[in-house]
Order: sequence, then C-alpha cells, then structure tokens
Amino acid sequence: MRNLFVIVSVFVFFALHGQEKAMTTSEITAFKNKVSATSLSTKTIQSDFTQYKYLDFLSNLIETSGNMAFKAPDMVKWHYTKPYNYSVVFNKDKLYINDDGSKSNVDLGNSKLFKKLNELIIASVKGDMFNDVDFVTTYLKTESLNKVVFVPKDQKIADYIASFELFFDRSKASVQEVKIIEPTGDYTQIIFRNRTLNQPLSDAVFAH
Amino acid sequence: MRYLLISLTFLLVSCGSYPRKNDFQELGKSIEYVNNPYFSDKTKDYIYKAKIEAFDKSFGGIFIVKKLGPGHHRIVLTTEMGNKIFDFTLNRQSFRTNRIIPEMNKRILIKILKKDLKVLVREKSTAFMGYTKKRDTIWETRLDEETHYYFNKDQQLNKIIKVKGGKEKVEFIFSEINDNIVGQIQILHNKIPLKINLTAI
Repeated sequence: MRNLFVIVSVFVFFALHGQEKAMTTSEITAFKNKVSATSLSTKTIQSDFTQYKYLDFLSNLIETSGNMAFKAPDMVKWHYTKPYNYSVVFNKDKLYINDDGSKSNVDLGNSKLFKKLNELIIASVKGDMFNDVDFVTTYLKTESLNKVVFVPKDQKIADYIASFELFFDRSKASVQEVKIIEPTGDYTQIIFRNRTLNQPLSDAVFAH
Repeated sequence: MRYLLISLTFLLVSCGSYPRKNDFQELGKSIEYVNNPYFSDKTKDYIYKAKIEAFDKSFGGIFIVKKLGPGHHRIVLTTEMGNKIFDFTLNRQSFRTNRIIPEMNKRILIKILKKDLKVLVREKSTAFMGYTKKRDTIWETRLDEETHYYFNKDQQLNKIIKVKGGKEKVEFIFSEINDNIVGQIQILHNKIPLKINLTAI
C-alpha cells in the first residue's frame, strides 16, 4: 500500500511539474520584448483584484478585494473595498494611507523592506521588472501562461521573501497574478480581473 | 525578610484598594475559575482589522489569532497588503517570536505585546475573589503575578482590567459579542500612549 502511495505521489509530482517548462533563450527574449512594448504603451491601468493570504496554520485563506489604479510613470492606488475600506497610494516617492477615513502618511510600509516590496508590486503591475539586478530571474511557461520567478539576492529581503512570482497572460503579455512567497511557505496572492488599459484617469484619484 | 514582608503587605494593600475605591461589593469566592471564551475554538480562524495608535504613530493591519491546542495560540499581524509585521507563538508558559519587522524588534515593545496578548487569549484563570457592582460580576485573578479584574454582565465577559498599585493600567473591552465571537475589541493603555482597536472581519 505504501509503495503504491509512493508511486502515485511520484507520478503526480511529474504530471504537475511537467506542465511547467523552462523557456528557451529566444522565447525569453521574445517575451521580454513583448512585455516591454506593452509596458511602454501603457499609460493607465484600472483593474479589480482579489487578494488571498495563505498562512499554514489557518483553516481558510484570508480573502480581501478591491480595485487598483495605475498612472504612468509612478502613481499607484490600491483600494480595498471588502471586507473593509482601506486605500494606499504610492505617489512618486510618497505613500499615503486612508484607513476608513483616517488619513496618514506614516505606515510600517515605510520600512526599507516594504518600500522595496512596494516597488516590486508597482513594477509588476506594469510587468516591466526584468532589469532589476536585485533578483535571480527564472522564466517558465505553461500552455496558456508565462511565469517569471524572482529570487532576491539581498539576504535581508530573502529573510522575508523566498520568491516573487508573476504570471503573464501569453497573448496580451500583461500580469494576471502576483504571488509573494515567504521563506516559511506562507504566501500572498493577488489576482487581477476586469483590466482596462489607457482609459483617462485623473490625478485626483491619487490625491491624499 | 522584613523588607519582603513589608513589600508583600504593601502589594496586598495596593491590590485590595482597587475594589474599595470603586465601591465593589464583596461576593466571596463562589467559583474556581473565570473563563475567556473568545479565542478558544480550534476550528475557527479569528481575523480582525486592526487600528493601532502607538506613541505618535498610527497604523493598521490584519490581526490573526488561531488556537492550535490547549493554551497554545499563534498570533500574527500583517499589513493590509499581506506583509507580516509580527508573528508570535504562545504556548502555556512559553512565548516565541517567529518573526518581527526590524522597526518593532525592541525588547520593551515585545514585552508589552506579550503581556497584552497573553491576557487576550488566556482561557481560564483562577478566581481569587468575587465582587459585584450594579449589574457586573467582577472576578479578581492573577496572571504573571499581576492582578486582573474580569467584568461579566449577564454572564458574558465584557471587560478585563489590569490593575497595579490600585490604578487601572490596561483595559481590554469586548463588545458586539455574538456566539463567542467578539465584534469589537479595544486594548487601552493608561500609562503609555498605546491603543489597539480590533474589528472582526
């Protein structure tokens, strides 16, 4: 019985991992060019998102959701609407919080680590972060998606983040999903949907 | 020895003065233990939106408590975007810091959090003396040699007050309680500028 379990496990492992293949050098170049072109032509992004927080000791994922707005070159707003009203705006180098009406620009997100993480998230929204020298980057592909895995070189960041994964829609070269994996295996997953590109977006959206 | 006796007498007098100051009526010791059922269900994930005002800073996050076994809890605070701010394991007499961001990794701050969190999740405390005041039944307990008063109204715990030298040091206020789930929790420190507000989500 135990042997059967081992055989089935090995089979399942290869079946699952077989779906994910490393990209060839020419595929990587083509993919990066496509993402860069998409990124350059992207002036605004508006999208809904759902965030799942996985902690190994919990019975369920913690689900929060809201909408995200991006305006080139460096303004991003994450607005959580469920189950609470909370928004965080990254406007140039500044960070603004509106926690259900309480406004502040002081947040633990100001720490160097979170600042780096936020930079990554902004870059990932655009999908243009392949030139970041702080990471070892791996390119993978499945039937419908391209997956890029970023592993931090800096030990201080590596203590918090084991890897950062971006999942791209193959045809549109846009980010569909972001996954931040901690060294313990706990992770945060953000899935985008209803994305609209280059629609007019007022600067007032990013005002504090 | 003499100093020890004087200190103990002073301690007892100080602790005893709080019920007198507040016109508590002595009830005697009719129960062995006082219960806090609010983080006692292993099958539940306790998830709260946190708002914290500490000294001149205010910040928020997601506050998570999970009971893992008898006297064993995991307590985590993350930012709204999912980054862990702290991650502690409380297991009977032990307290382990699994993770804390450098900005909060200060011994005195961890000590304050440890004390508050122990009170928050402790399920059963020995009742040393009972009192009444209006509709409240109040039980005097000790946790780590410190005196805490558990206030029950209609057999429901709605407040814990930590008292030192006859003065209220920390208040834990429970409201909007439904089926042993507390909708609102406030932890208010009177000696230091620290307020923690938790709303169940």
